[in-house]
Amino acid sequence: MQSKMKELDPILEVENLSASTDNLPILKGVSLTVYPGEIHAIMGRNGCGKSTLSKIIAGHPSYNITDGDIKFLGENIKSQEPEERAQSGIFLGFQYPIEIPGVSNLEFLRVSTNARRKFLNKEELDTFDFEELVKEKLELVKMDHAFLSRSVNQGFSGGEKKRNEILQMALLEPKIAILDETDSGLDIDALRIVASGIKKISNSQTGVILITHYQRLLDEIKPNYVHVMSDGQIIKTGGSDLALELEKKGYEWTDNFIKEI
Amino acid sequence: MEIIEKIKTNKSIDNQTEIQKICLNKLQSSPLPNPKSEPWRLSNKSKFSDLLDYSLNEKDTKFDTPYPNTSQNIIRLVIGDNCQIKLIEENYSIKELSEDELVKYIKKQISCFDQNENWSELLNLSLSCKKNILGLKINGSKIPPIEIFSHASSNSLNAKTLVIFLEKNCDIDLLQVNLGKDNSSLSQSTFFCLEENCSVNHGVVSYGESKSNLLNSLNVIQEKNSEYNLGSLHFKFNYARFEISIKQSAGNAKTNIKGMQITKKDEQISTYTKIEFKGPNGFLDQINKSLADDKSHAIFEGSIIVPKIAQRTDASQLSRNLLLSNLAQIDTKPQLEIIADDVKCKHGATISQLNEEELFYMRTRGITLTEASKLQLSSYFQEIITFIPVSKDRWDLLDKLLNEN
Amino acid sequence: MVNENLVKDVVKEPYKYGFVTDIETEKIAKGLNEDIIRLISQKKEEPKYLLDFRLKAFKKWQKMKEPDWAGLGYKQIDYQDIIYYSAPKQKEKISSLDEVDPKLLETFDKLGIPLTEQKKLTNVAVDAVFDSVSIATTFREELAQHGVIFCSISEAVKNHSNLIEQYLGTVVPASDNYFAALNSAVFSDGSFVYIPKGVTCPMDLSSYFRINSGDSGQFERTLIIAEESSSVSYLEGCTAPMFDTNTLHAAVVELIALDDASIKYSTVQNWYAGDEEGVGGIFNFVTKRGKCLGKRSKISWSQVETGSAITWKYPSCLLLGEESVGEFYSVALTNNLQQADTGTKMIHIGPKTKSTIVSKGISAGNSNNSYRGLVKMGTKATGSRNYSQCDSMLIGDQASANTFPYIKSQQPNSEIEHEASTCRISEDQLFYLQSRGIEFEEAVSMMVSGFCRDVFNQLPMEFAAEADKLLALKLEGSVG
Repeated sequence: MQSKMKELDPILEVENLSASTDNLPILKGVSLTVYPGEIHAIMGRNGCGKSTLSKIIAGHPSYNITDGDIKFLGENIKSQEPEERAQSGIFLGFQYPIEIPGVSNLEFLRVSTNARRKFLNKEELDTFDFEELVKEKLELVKMDHAFLSRSVNQGFSGGEKKRNEILQMALLEPKIAILDETDSGLDIDALRIVASGIKKISNSQTGVILITHYQRLLDEIKPNYVHVMSDGQIIKTGGSDLALELEKKGYEWTDNFIKEI
Repeated sequence: MEIIEKIKTNKSIDNQTEIQKICLNKLQSSPLPNPKSEPWRLSNKSKFSDLLDYSLNEKDTKFDTPYPNTSQNIIRLVIGDNCQIKLIEENYSIKELSEDELVKYIKKQISCFDQNENWSELLNLSLSCKKNILGLKINGSKIPPIEIFSHASSNSLNAKTLVIFLEKNCDIDLLQVNLGKDNSSLSQSTFFCLEENCSVNHGVVSYGESKSNLLNSLNVIQEKNSEYNLGSLHFKFNYARFEISIKQSAGNAKTNIKGMQITKKDEQISTYTKIEFKGPNGFLDQINKSLADDKSHAIFEGSIIVPKIAQRTDASQLSRNLLLSNLAQIDTKPQLEIIADDVKCKHGATISQLNEEELFYMRTRGITLTEASKLQLSSYFQEIITFIPVSKDRWDLLDKLLNEN
Repeated sequence: MVNENLVKDVVKEPYKYGFVTDIETEKIAKGLNEDIIRLISQKKEEPKYLLDFRLKAFKKWQKMKEPDWAGLGYKQIDYQDIIYYSAPKQKEKISSLDEVDPKLLETFDKLGIPLTEQKKLTNVAVDAVFDSVSIATTFREELAQHGVIFCSISEAVKNHSNLIEQYLGTVVPASDNYFAALNSAVFSDGSFVYIPKGVTCPMDLSSYFRINSGDSGQFERTLIIAEESSSVSYLEGCTAPMFDTNTLHAAVVELIALDDASIKYSTVQNWYAGDEEGVGGIFNFVTKRGKCLGKRSKISWSQVETGSAITWKYPSCLLLGEESVGEFYSVALTNNLQQADTGTKMIHIGPKTKSTIVSKGISAGNSNNSYRGLVKMGTKATGSRNYSQCDSMLIGDQASANTFPYIKSQQPNSEIEHEASTCRISEDQLFYLQSRGIEFEEAVSMMVSGFCRDVFNQLPMEFAAEADKLLALKLEGSVG
């Protein structure tokens, strides 16, 4: 299945990754490879470890990697700081975007965009030029300019927070975007806006990992691969039809796979 | 040498004012604050004795006003330097208090002093000679912003006193700046009296140099329908104490306080506040922030007293603290004493590091840890700094704080 | 809405535990000196180490001063005017309940704590303490089968001397404070609990303390030891007759939890509070402290304090073991001229320790109710957390509510969060309830019990219902 892609180098390689927090094992040997142009979906019940996987790839300090490797564009990033990973093109869309009172959204977006641009040897943008860029990207997620003058995510509705995440993704132009439950808490209109934003930003050079436990986002964005996670492991991988089957049969169906393992 | 002895052997003892005599007399019965009492329990004894160790000095060395330079639409006064002022304009007047008025007012204050709680004031008033007391009576509106400086000279203990009377319907912005020099101690006491319908934005910015000490007390009386807003910032002192006492004499007044203290190295800075509601419908919104780094120690104790007469008081007090180092410590004690039943009072306190989830979020957007911390600190500082009047347009306090961090 | 007269007309139910049992008692002479202490020790046939413990404590106590920092107002206690040992006369060496004076059994019957085989509570083992001595302990054999020791502390001194010698005074040292020193010198009886390794105590254990004599003090001492991976839930109840003199109660409770052990200690304190004018009532000066010695150990205090003229009590936790947990849930209700100064100390010493404080104070009448607490993060308490919530409710404009939370941190990698609020019963809420046909008094007690819900949820079931009733009873006629 992967033959046509294999000529390209992978963007992300997760190899037999095990991790724990507070001595509690959460990931128990996860492997996953993403090639340019691919969209992967990771599904599973709450607590199966899918959010943890995304946080570990982004470098969250609370988790210890006990075994395995994470390679990004061929380079092992296990010991990199979260900001280094972000600057080099890993983007994590948070399930619950953090509210940062007192820090202006515009300032936050500008500082982060410039950090990424600096890495790409692009010219850093001053306030004026940046406003121009933001205006253009705001269109993509149908956000009002007024959002920029508020504190980061503070007092944003659930949908506004998720759109703010996609706005950041648009500004940072990542090589790989890991979107953790970006669809949760969205009504159908907001879901379409977010989905079309993701589609516009991703291209044949980038990879996307969608973490979700519903089919509805996958109706909007068709994944190349669907992985089912349970108890810190990927227990089944298939095409987009696997998600449909899962929707129909429920997660009890996947419990059988665990028994097989 | 005991502080009392020092005052007594001071050259100018013969010219002592009545106030100085009364206070010195009172001080004799408690030459030092009781180290076991609540307001002094946590005070670092050796640092406190450092503060009292310098020789008394009534004369100031040449004083270079720090940035920013004076500008035309600001009234700038330096206590001990150009104490005379008489400004009568169309809309307002600023006059010096007559000696009688000053003595009468201070005596009245002293009569309700507690030896221990008001020890700093007693010391200040027994040290402050006539030329180091500035008394002002302010009236009117559209008054230009006022900046008042107090400063200490190197290797000495200086005392400065400020008394301000705001007459009815008066409305001012006033920034007080207390500056410490190398190896110096400053004793600063401020008495503020707000008559009915007055509104004040009061800023207090105190910072020192190496081995500066400060004993700063602030006494505010608010009459009905007055509004008192205080924004304060203390940093860079070997030892500093900021004691605030605010009385809403008949309730029906508004008080907003936003204070911050920053300690580094082995500094100790503490803030003690006592807010009393002596009538109904009082309002208080208070936030105090501390940031302690290195081996330093920051202390906040705040009490809110709501007696039976103060029905429908609405008071809230928040103590937010950042502890940035393993060797630093923070003590905080917000307290409520309430007898009235129809009141809304709440308080809260937190001590933590910078928020890790917020930091991680910013880092996943490519912002470095240092920058992310700075962004967080600046928002932490900003809330207080924007509340300090006059300074916000002219003084780059935020830059000063961030760049020293 | 809040009709004062209507409320004041409501007839108050008198303190229903205020009767006196007419029983012949053996009392020693009033006063406190070394000879009295020797006499107490001799009456209890104690080993020498215990007498030494008492005498040493007495020496320390003599050098100490009665604490005044809580600002409580009460008549000076004359420590020489108190009887330090009082016991109902009964046959020596009682071998079964049948030999207990029926008057005593009747007393506990009346208090709702039947002790006899036929009537005893089925799911709770009870140690009944009458003045200075333990009268009976139920379910002893059943507990013994699990290796659980539950007996009076005097008995433990005789039969389990090694445990007493090892642990007594290790959590609350004799010199800890004035009242702890006094207790250490003169303690009469109390309960002893030992839960062996790996055992979950098969039933709740309970002590019931009854002060009967008007002129004797009560100085009980409780020691609970939970070995590795064991757990126990312990309940304590207290009442006293109505006297117009003040009776001193100075107890010490020590809890020790080893690795993975858990102790839940619940109190419903309903000592006689004095009358409306503040005459009489118990002076309740108690030192309760638990030591989470082991990893992942847990000590949870819950208390409902409704009685006593004066309450001075701070059940605390020393969190030494890694990941140990301390909890404090408290409801303190004061009415008339009662004074309560209560709270907790959570001392975080070990890493990753956690503590939770939920305190609800209700002040009515002319009473004075204070929360006083300390949360401390020591230098090694990395990754530790505390959350405190202290709410006060004021009823009437003569009562006072104070909060004195003291917070100290020396560990940046720890988090402390404290919240406090003061409110009164809102007229809108009352009106809403009344407009739905709920009687005024009932509406008030519904709101008060709603205010206390977080704490009641922590109490064992039978206690929670009792606590709810108790509050309603205490509040009757106080809302105006």
